[in-house]
Amino acid sequence: MAKSGSERELELYFGPQHLGMVGNFGITLKVEGDRVLKATANPGYLHRGFEKLMEYRTWIQNFPMVCRINVVEPDSMEMIYAMAVEKLAGIEVPERAHYIRSIFLELARVSSHLFGLWAYSNMLGFDTPAHWAMYHRDLVLDLFEELTGGRVYHIYLWPGGVRRDFPKGFKDRIVSTLHSIGGCVPDYDATFFNNRLFYERARGVGKLSQEQAKALGATGQVLRATGTKYDIRKVEPYAAYDKVDWDVPTREEGDAYSRIWVIRDEMIESVHMIFKLLDAMPEGEVYNRIPNPFKWKIPPGEAYVRCESSRGELGLYLVSDGGDKPYRAHFRTPSYPHGLTILEKVLEGASIADVGNTMISLYVVAPEIDR
Amino acid sequence: MIPSLQKDLEATFKGVEVTVVEDSRMSVLAPRDSIPVVLRYLKESGLDHLALLSCVDWIKEGKFEVVYVLTCYMRNDTDYTSDQRLHVLLKTEIPREKPALKSVIDIFENAEPYEREIHELYGVHFDGHPRLIPLLLERDYEIPPFRKDFDTRKYVEETFGSIPPVEG
Repeated sequence: MAKSGSERELELYFGPQHLGMVGNFGITLKVEGDRVLKATANPGYLHRGFEKLMEYRTWIQNFPMVCRINVVEPDSMEMIYAMAVEKLAGIEVPERAHYIRSIFLELARVSSHLFGLWAYSNMLGFDTPAHWAMYHRDLVLDLFEELTGGRVYHIYLWPGGVRRDFPKGFKDRIVSTLHSIGGCVPDYDATFFNNRLFYERARGVGKLSQEQAKALGATGQVLRATGTKYDIRKVEPYAAYDKVDWDVPTREEGDAYSRIWVIRDEMIESVHMIFKLLDAMPEGEVYNRIPNPFKWKIPPGEAYVRCESSRGELGLYLVSDGGDKPYRAHFRTPSYPHGLTILEKVLEGASIADVGNTMISLYVVAPEIDR
Repeated sequence: MIPSLQKDLEATFKGVEVTVVEDSRMSVLAPRDSIPVVLRYLKESGLDHLALLSCVDWIKEGKFEVVYVLTCYMRNDTDYTSDQRLHVLLKTEIPREKPALKSVIDIFENAEPYEREIHELYGVHFDGHPRLIPLLLERDYEIPPFRKDFDTRKYVEETFGSIPPVEG
């Protein structure tokens, strides 16, 4: 803590080591009493230079790299990279693989939202739903483990499809796992979402209007909580998202409370979508053969592809110079505008007790900013 | 939307090259000085979401290519048309020696951290940026580390390859 300016003004370091902070991320606050006068985001603690390292590795070797950019939701990262490589190299994906990809990504969304729910409810002091969320996330990770062999990082999506088909009886296990999680929604509602304490604590925190959100580059829940149905799965459908009917949940208020409610509704919508996709899934191949990865050269060109990760619009600008490695990769991660531009904006005038609250409700995940 | 936008752009601005790459993607190459006006024009034509600001180091041609990726936010909630899918890659080429560009924060507020990042990783200066201070990196580098002539492996070897002597 350092004194600066007037006698009552203090500089306060919130994070990277702080009880209210989830992830390695810092915010420098200029405070007077309990009010934040100015907030400065201080990222970089998790910068590993992935985009530069990718330039040293072949197209296929980059898969273990990209999934580590977002620790809590690696699958969208695999998806976006696979999509970009497919676009540059002109690879088709079989119909069944599209469905498997969608189901897999929705499972990943559910597990990522449960993790986010843990972070948020834990931070606000709701330990019981936090523990439930962690347990239920683990049930989804069990499914991932059976399908891919890995619990957190899967490297399952692949240019040309997915690595392998669903094992025997896997559909039924997805359904029964999701039913057992879905059966607890009333409990979650009673202890957390409809809890008066949560309402009082989150209402009006980190409020954004729709115009502000758009001007600051918001996507995902941050934008949907202000009343627009902007979702890349609808705007530019990929995988099998245009094959089944589903809805984009929104709220109007634009504060932390409505953001968390959008996340809750989205989780339920994802589960319904998985059921529909499982019913509609055709039989057939799950991948198209790609050239020998050791000799694979991709024609020169550039691509910008985007998908909806659990935090918002995830984009990848990928450039090939005709070689066996990417020439340049740049990820547009949703937490980047949320955690830097928007966070600094909405923290002005907030109380110190709401700093962590605001940050987690913006759904910021630090490794995604730093890359 | 694409054919009319292409015609308008070519008619309004001198020296702007427009290529329609595929149904929903357009690539616009503009001279460095006209980036702010073209960007503002595109924003007013409906491309109101700056998704990404990126930079590519074309070392053989001796230039940097700065890329602004623009997409559309939705007008209304049922509007999932092909016009919504339009995205524009607005590019400009600047020399590798003393690279500088005008900041576009007054047009797109969320360009601020992107410009900081490109300044830090490529050494491109953005005129009019209020705080071009480091964003991600901890150390100072002779060559900005995302440039192609920066050898990551050599740097790692030199910096971390041996156990440093105990100071005392």
